[in-house]
Amino acid sequence: MSNSDTASLDTKPLDGILASMPEVGPNDLVPILQQVQKAYGYLPKAILMTVSDRTGISASRIYGVATFYEQFHLVPHGRHTIRCCRGTACHVKGGHNIIKAIRQNLGIEPNETTEDMRYTFETVACLGTCFLAPVMMVNNDYYGHLNPRKIKSILERYT
Amino acid sequence: MSHKKITSLQDIEKLRQQLLSRQQSCKAKVLVCMTGCRALGAQDVCTEFRRQLKRLSLDEQVIVVETGCIGMCARAPVVLIEPHEYLYGGVTPEDVEEIISTTIQKSKPLNRLAVTQDDKPVVKVSDIDFYKRQDRKVLENCGRIDPRSIENAIERGGYVTAIRTLTEKKPQQIIDEVTDSGLRGRGGAGFPTGVKWNFARKSTGEEKYLICNADEGDPGAFMDRALLEGDPHRVIEGMIIAAYAIGAGHGFIYVRAEYPIAVEHINIALEQARALGLLGDNIAGTGFGFDIEVRMGAGAFVCGEETALIASLEGKRGMPTTRPPFPAVKGYQGKPTNINNVETFANVPIVLKDGAKNYSKIGTAKSKGTKIFALAGKVNNTGLVEVPMGTTLREIIFDIGGGIPKGRKFKAAQMGGPSGGCIPAKYLDRGIDYDSVQQIGAIMGSGGLIVMDENTCMVDIARYFLEFVQAESCGKCTPCRVGTKKMLTILDAISRGQAKLEDLDQLELLAEHIKKGSLCGLGQTAPNPVLSTLRHFRDEYEEHIVLKTCRAAVCEGLVRAPCQHACPAGVNVPEYLALAAEGRLTEAANIIRRRNPFVSVCGRVCDHPCEQRCRRSEIDQPLAIRALKRYIADYMDDYDSPMARPAQGQAEVAIIGSGPAGLSCAYFLALIQRPSVVFEAEPIPGGMLTLGIPEFRLPKDILKKEIDFILSHGVKLRTDSRIGDATDLLRSGFKAVFVATGGQRGKSIDIEGIDLRGVIDALEFLRDRALGKGLDCRGKRIVVLGGGNAAVDVARSAVRLGADEITILYRRTRQEMPAYEEEIEGALEEGVNLVTLGVPKRVIGKDRTVSAIEFLRAELGQADADGRRRPVPIEGSETTIQCDIVIPAIGQIASTESLNVEGGPELTKWGTVKVDPVRLNTTVDSIFSGGDCVTGPASVIGAIAAGQKAAVSIDKMLGGSGNLPHDVGFSFTKPDEETLAQSPPRAEEKIIPLEKRKRGFAEVVLGLDREQALTEAGRCLRCDLEE
Repeated sequence: MSNSDTASLDTKPLDGILASMPEVGPNDLVPILQQVQKAYGYLPKAILMTVSDRTGISASRIYGVATFYEQFHLVPHGRHTIRCCRGTACHVKGGHNIIKAIRQNLGIEPNETTEDMRYTFETVACLGTCFLAPVMMVNNDYYGHLNPRKIKSILERYT
Repeated sequence: MSHKKITSLQDIEKLRQQLLSRQQSCKAKVLVCMTGCRALGAQDVCTEFRRQLKRLSLDEQVIVVETGCIGMCARAPVVLIEPHEYLYGGVTPEDVEEIISTTIQKSKPLNRLAVTQDDKPVVKVSDIDFYKRQDRKVLENCGRIDPRSIENAIERGGYVTAIRTLTEKKPQQIIDEVTDSGLRGRGGAGFPTGVKWNFARKSTGEEKYLICNADEGDPGAFMDRALLEGDPHRVIEGMIIAAYAIGAGHGFIYVRAEYPIAVEHINIALEQARALGLLGDNIAGTGFGFDIEVRMGAGAFVCGEETALIASLEGKRGMPTTRPPFPAVKGYQGKPTNINNVETFANVPIVLKDGAKNYSKIGTAKSKGTKIFALAGKVNNTGLVEVPMGTTLREIIFDIGGGIPKGRKFKAAQMGGPSGGCIPAKYLDRGIDYDSVQQIGAIMGSGGLIVMDENTCMVDIARYFLEFVQAESCGKCTPCRVGTKKMLTILDAISRGQAKLEDLDQLELLAEHIKKGSLCGLGQTAPNPVLSTLRHFRDEYEEHIVLKTCRAAVCEGLVRAPCQHACPAGVNVPEYLALAAEGRLTEAANIIRRRNPFVSVCGRVCDHPCEQRCRRSEIDQPLAIRALKRYIADYMDDYDSPMARPAQGQAEVAIIGSGPAGLSCAYFLALIQRPSVVFEAEPIPGGMLTLGIPEFRLPKDILKKEIDFILSHGVKLRTDSRIGDATDLLRSGFKAVFVATGGQRGKSIDIEGIDLRGVIDALEFLRDRALGKGLDCRGKRIVVLGGGNAAVDVARSAVRLGADEITILYRRTRQEMPAYEEEIEGALEEGVNLVTLGVPKRVIGKDRTVSAIEFLRAELGQADADGRRRPVPIEGSETTIQCDIVIPAIGQIASTESLNVEGGPELTKWGTVKVDPVRLNTTVDSIFSGGDCVTGPASVIGAIAAGQKAAVSIDKMLGGSGNLPHDVGFSFTKPDEETLAQSPPRAEEKIIPLEKRKRGFAEVVLGLDREQALTEAGRCLRCDLEE
């Protein structure tokens, strides 16, 4: 990895993150990555390399952890993140048809982003709001008691 | 308001008293759920309350409290008013003014927003079944306090128990108390908490850790979320006690990132507890130091497993490690660590407050205390439910949960998430605790309880869970990583109808290997959902494989449109509805007639399984498919023209019985140009359609027209021709025989006096009436025994025949009556009495003639194999009804006389004909059979389907292709979104006035008019056209 990649990204947010954690060690890797993602919107390769340099945590371990957990993503997300629940209650109430409707409306599969960077589509094991089933979230908004026909108009609200 | 640090037990008790006295100035409290209900607009409701109260200058006396989950999530947003204890659901900002003026100012209930029970509004929490039958101990504060206020928590006794315990008890005493209480881990496995703590306490090492597992990953579980969101201080209090007991100085709460409100609330709570000196170096002056750090999960189901969770805390990939060493010996950073679930910690203050003895009074022998269930899926009252261990599923799902929506049938309850299993209806009356659930193939798990109804496919559910664990397997152990993939491949094949029966054995074998060969709980339990569904619902797997059908009409690989799939005859419903919507009725009828010749009949008496599966019912109500079919039949231009030129030549196939099965077989054979002869023992054709179903449901002329249509295809009919021996027909030159003799005799009921004069079998009664020899009922008092369609038909016929008093006596309750609901309703309107929960004991006679019937009152007992509760007669409850005629209508016996011959086909132990389910061939070559004589009394459409299936098999046996006319591709019109969005509710058929009904046998239902029909047909979603 060349230094020029790093140069193109501002490391100030990272500086702040590391400074806020006293005695940073390998134990803190998950919270570090969570904060990096919050600050940058995703986990940029260059920043991860810097994390490795500053903390002494090997790049391979960082990569291993970053790819193990569903929450982390190595490419930028769209402006709006759709998270559709695929929990049991949602499934028995037709949640798979909601997933299908989102796929058809956006033309992308789960874990993909539309070309115009408007939407990223993810599925979640369970949002823990089973009483709203079938349910999805767009950014921080919940939409419950869905049916496939409601999807289009909901998505259109997010420009 | 800031308080000084708490430094003793007296301090906190004093603070509590202070807070409580401050409370007294408050007139009322408005509690608004601001956690789960936030998703449905609770914030706006809250804001509106504050605004209105301020406007009315009531904001000093009335406090608005933003609470955690109040429980009745199905009615979100939920508002609770104290001290009135009134609960309102579905509240909008527009309702706020009225709530204030009615309830807060005048203390009156606002019924409009109340929960309804038995069609009556119930406003008081203690009267609502959902709460009345619960025992909310762990959840006592949830929905009653502002979770962001430590003062609220302390008012209700928070932290008092912890400080008292730390002050007065030694660690070992606490562990003994917890052990004696019988508290078991609420995370799923149910390991005794006290024993676990003791391990951690006994472990050597200065530094010990305590972890609260809030990585609630089980899909369908949301009680940990609710506790952290709604009462975080209780969890912290439990953790303080646990930390002191095991000697831990540092704690973690590992919480899912998907729960942002929980994270927010727990962080606020920790901050407040520290500020009051309830966490930190010297907790409340006891000298004990402990603090807690919140860590967010990063989205990995396996991290719910304790060793994986620890790996994640250490900044590693969340992969499990072998145990032993257990975390109690070597956990976080290699130090002794104790992990418990959120709900377990939330129980700890109760154990210490009430004492082990009192705590263990609740529950079963080996499972103590209460359990919170997250009730969701196909149940009316979704939400959080806390009940004593040992409560039955029926109480949870039906009494508390309010039963299954849309009157559908319960199929199973899924417990324990991906590690658990599906519990069928026959166990509804079993008390639920750790051990009983395990015995029936599921696990308690964290308490997710997903209710499934008849529209849930069990193969699909197994596949769903396997897909889940397959995706979540961390990949460390090969059996889990590869084995689940293999199982998933097989399940995929089953759901597409492309598997073999042997594959089921393969599934079981793989499951065995995965269970044995996996390190952690995820792998060891991954096959459970498959194993439990195989154990309880093997027939559904077999149907997918052998019959290529999915009875719930879910599996996409098999199902084009659910209605079509649900129709036993496979009628292309969406296509004919679309044609009907365009007014192309004859074409629509022709689509139906490609799979079912009885358009008029089925438009009137079909039990319409298509409607039960209609996807429109997920939006509002199902399409009125049966009514539309009747509309098509009644108004089509060209009713009589045959579908094909009449079959010519010598008949090769003999059919015994001219009911729906026999005539359908003849019809479909004719469509593929094979002539046949139908032999009918009675003087007129139609079987049960003619002799069993009264004219007010199916007029004779309509039926005759339909049978004439079938006969016009070159079908030969021989009436008054009873066949004594089916094999004779083969000997006389027929190449194949289809036996469709139905069930012509009623089952007899074995009670005293059943041979008295005046006891008449239901089928005999209906047959005589149909043949014009009807019983004179004028002035008679009649009791009909049974609850099926035959019983109701008899009763309604008797009304028309002038009977004085008619009673239907049924042994279970009205809900369990197999007769169509609209028929029961019709009978009641016509003045028929319905006596339920009555088991006939004897018929009483005078001069060898019926004078009364005596029955025992019954109550419902435990579930039978179908989940229906058995009636248990109450001794000494004998009751009599005076009557002149008793008509048993309790079932039919298969008519198999023509097969009970030397060299005839085998029968089953129930006396029905044994056939191959796919081909319908009997054990004798060239003899086929179908309809009621195979299935026992069943539906008309089932019999039609059997006739169709037999025709195909017979054609194939005789060298044909067995291809029925194709039925796809006539209309691709898909209604646009706007039309669908604006479509009105389901159309209702008009009926004739009650007075006219009672006077004769005129058809009761008039059907839809043109406008109704066209609109109704336009409600179809055209599921068949979806990709």
